[in-house]
Amino acid sequence: MTKPLQRGQVGRSARRLEGRAKVTGRAEYVHNLRLPGMLYGKIFRSTVAHGRIRRIDVRAAQAMAGVERVVTGEDLHAVIPNPYYGPAFHDQPILALEKVRYAGEPVAVVLAADPHVAEEAAQLITAEYDELPAVFDEVEAASSAAIVHEVLKPAGIFPDLKHLEGRKNTNVALDFHLRRGDVEAGFAAADRIFEHSFRTQQVMHTPLEPMVSVADAGASAITIHTASQSPSFVRIEIARLLGWPENRVRVKVPYLGGGFGAKLYIKLEALVAALSLLVRRPVKVALTMEEQFFTITKHAATLRIKSGVAADGRIVARRCDVWWNGGAYADVGPRVTQKSGFTAAGPYDIENVHIESYAVYTNLPPAGALRGFGIPQLVWAYESHTDLIARALGLDPLEFRRKNILREGRPQATGTIMRDAAIEAVLDRLAQRMKWREPFDRGSGTLRRGRGLGIGFKASIAPTTSVAIITIAADGSCVLYSSTVDMGQGSDTAMAQIAAEVLDLPAEAIRVVHPDTDVTPYDMATLGSRSTYHMGNAVKRAAEDARDKLAALAAELGLPPGSNLPWPELFRRKYGMQAGNIVGVGSFIPSYASPDHDTGLTANATPFWMIGGAGAEVEIDTETGAVRVTKLVNVADAGTPINPAIVETQLSGGAIMQLGFTLSEEMQFRDGQLTNASLADYKIPGFHDLPTAMESAAVEAQEHGGPFGAKGVGESGTFGVSPAIANAIDDAVGVRLSALPLTAEAVWRALGEKRGEA
Amino acid sequence: MKPFDLVEPRSLAEAIGCLDRDDPAVRPIAGGTALMLMMKAGLFRPLRLVSLRAIEERFRRIAAEPDGELRIGAMATLASVERSPEVARLAPVITRTLRRLANRRVRNVATIGGHLAHADPHLDLPPVLVALGARLIIAGPAGEHAIAIEALFKGYLETVLRHDEMIAELIVPPQAGRQSAYLKCTARSADDWPSLGIAVSLSVAGGIIRDSRIVIGAATETPTRLAAAEAVLRGAAIDDAILRRAGEAAAAEAAIVSDQHGSAAYKKQLLRVGLGRAARSALAAAPEAPR
Repeated sequence: MTKPLQRGQVGRSARRLEGRAKVTGRAEYVHNLRLPGMLYGKIFRSTVAHGRIRRIDVRAAQAMAGVERVVTGEDLHAVIPNPYYGPAFHDQPILALEKVRYAGEPVAVVLAADPHVAEEAAQLITAEYDELPAVFDEVEAASSAAIVHEVLKPAGIFPDLKHLEGRKNTNVALDFHLRRGDVEAGFAAADRIFEHSFRTQQVMHTPLEPMVSVADAGASAITIHTASQSPSFVRIEIARLLGWPENRVRVKVPYLGGGFGAKLYIKLEALVAALSLLVRRPVKVALTMEEQFFTITKHAATLRIKSGVAADGRIVARRCDVWWNGGAYADVGPRVTQKSGFTAAGPYDIENVHIESYAVYTNLPPAGALRGFGIPQLVWAYESHTDLIARALGLDPLEFRRKNILREGRPQATGTIMRDAAIEAVLDRLAQRMKWREPFDRGSGTLRRGRGLGIGFKASIAPTTSVAIITIAADGSCVLYSSTVDMGQGSDTAMAQIAAEVLDLPAEAIRVVHPDTDVTPYDMATLGSRSTYHMGNAVKRAAEDARDKLAALAAELGLPPGSNLPWPELFRRKYGMQAGNIVGVGSFIPSYASPDHDTGLTANATPFWMIGGAGAEVEIDTETGAVRVTKLVNVADAGTPINPAIVETQLSGGAIMQLGFTLSEEMQFRDGQLTNASLADYKIPGFHDLPTAMESAAVEAQEHGGPFGAKGVGESGTFGVSPAIANAIDDAVGVRLSALPLTAEAVWRALGEKRGEA
Repeated sequence: MKPFDLVEPRSLAEAIGCLDRDDPAVRPIAGGTALMLMMKAGLFRPLRLVSLRAIEERFRRIAAEPDGELRIGAMATLASVERSPEVARLAPVITRTLRRLANRRVRNVATIGGHLAHADPHLDLPPVLVALGARLIIAGPAGEHAIAIEALFKGYLETVLRHDEMIAELIVPPQAGRQSAYLKCTARSADDWPSLGIAVSLSVAGGIIRDSRIVIGAATETPTRLAAAEAVLRGAAIDDAILRRAGEAAAAEAAIVSDQHGSAAYKKQLLRVGLGRAARSALAAAPEAPR
């Protein structure tokens, strides 16, 4: 293992730069922002899942004392002629137009200087709809007569969506196919065939800071303060909606209280921008925790998976059919369908693979990116399936995986050769930490114990761009300008460490400027664990550029190479006083080759691979079905960690989040109406729900394309958790659950069915 | 939220005078942990709130009578009840129940009077207090009167209290060596509302159950005493078979409803299994009010 560390800034567990400001309540958040003359907007939402708007009556709300204005979708045409937005499809109206497509969709907004007045008035609005047939199930929606969008409207950014332009009478927003080898021939040659079906439920990101945006429109420019993970996208999309150049739209983002994919692309920004332009005053819209359920969610999915296994235990063919329930608006769902879809067959070396992945519109709240971008749903299916096969063949689940695991240098399903992907090392480390080969106490009486494994992988979204700027002031102090959003993941600290390593400064001495599109350069977004790799490379290049310019300045001043004259002295000699700047710029875009439209094959699917595995030990109460996770081990390939302590908390944080999605979280609907839109009835894990023992570790690894050998780790902790627990339940009591969440009642029912009491 | 009046009377009598027998939009507020949520959700729109925070200090008092009776002022916070040495000595099942009731932040402000008057069937103390045979002092314009606690609950979020009446005091009678336990079953996270709560209070002599009170909460609209299960246990020697029979009897008699915490069938199973577990845990616990 090469040790690329020279200065010790990278590879140390530096404390978070913002830690003190956060714990003392001084960190800046959009929720605290109040501008002079600012109005508050309160959203009135649809009560039907699918309907044509007949009438919206705002008179009573408009007449209420203190109400400045009530705005409906039709009113927005005055400032935005075509008010539809979205990263993949321009399908989402800022406020409903003509139709509503899910219960909870924004229909009108009340503006008032007092937020309580706005809230009260919003309750006076009434709307009438001609209800239309609605569809909620993703498989049914793929061939349903109930059509959510009359015509598909791809945004035109992504070449693989262009063929969908103008398509009618379908809810399928994207169909992705992958064909490798000949899957039918593979099945025919196989010794055994296994086929299973799995389901995941719709869940919510639950950032503790709900979405919030403020817009302040001037005569020729607009400033948007927003809790967003993608300031550069917001600027581009708002400029497009307004028909303005980018330089008239300014987007500022302070700290975020969590994002997890919820605060990507456009959420409230287009709404506040339109409202502020209409009334010519600053407008703030801050969602409640409850309203977040109606804004963006994680895809529910149905996954069917079929494998052919040869007599020697090798998987020779696999077919996967995946339906992603995208809800009423595509958001980034079509990207999930494609970018995650091609890994649906799992981290296994399989000669013949056939994948069908469908993004499907339904009449439910929209689904988008959530920590893992579809991968946890896929791993849930393929790692449950893998265990079922191992059990049926009487093979140890670890050995069966080892026999089939995708090794370094072998082609993945797309044909891309695996590089710097420590899949086998993660599996081995997991087995070692789980003491897999040692005797295991299986419990007795009504308390039975079991253990299970799950391992998954993810490709980085590609190709995407990051740009960074580093300035050195004349006193030698250093500022880093980047549009990466620190939403709690520690990116400020990691980026400062990378710059500090190059410039030989303490990371704590570097000032990190938060995203402000008038000041900080372009970055695609803070998503998909891409920042450490992409922005990390850009920051490294910017720091190297600054360092080279300092060296050039020294040479210009006639100093010998390697001279260690302090930087302030360089500036003084050049400018005669404390004056001037060095500006270093770095920009990064990785190489990438689009998959072939018909086969899904490509020689370069991703700049890097994320690997994550989990091992779980559980205790099952056979009388009540209660599941207690007594041990949860997470192992990941994070390359060479920039900050080992942050890597560990990213892994444990991801695992705990996925633990909630595995055991307790579920958005429950009745006829498209969400019945548990509050944290009293939608249960995220609390401290008492954490496993008795939890371990998180990164294997020794190096990502050659990453800054100082590092790569992203924000999602890897989520991958294996759900199947590891389901596999452990099966190991303990011999029942298999195929749908999330794994509730006590579900286990109890399965135990009853096993005893023949169904 | 619409503007409303907030008054802060200095005495209970004055507070009662601020209420309106005919107007449900005038309500007393103590800790406010339930009421504020209902107001934020738009389920309750007050005209006037009568804050009880400044009424006489004695309504926060927790006192032990010489005979072992506990008297708890309605304004005592759940945290003060949880930390009370008198409660821990005379009715330790209350102390144990409070440790898993809501969370520390809620317990620090929620009051025992508000907890009971809210009448949410998912609350933990009502079944426990019914099992302990507790009484309430109700104060109104006509003065005070006492009722048995089970008489308080009329339905979902519904009590017998008139709009101008309030709970003034909770009285837990001497437990005289009874052994009690509360089993809280949560379906999703540990801090979830219970899907079923089982309170058991036993009087045991020489291995024979002389008397039992079995009360369930959360799965029924109001705390419900299970007479058939109690009958099975009366006079019986304690063993696994008899506890199982009591569990079967309880599951058969209880009018349990399905909700998002679980189906009726599953909650009946929890009751079938949980009754014996609660009884075992009561028997393992130190007797209440040791002499």
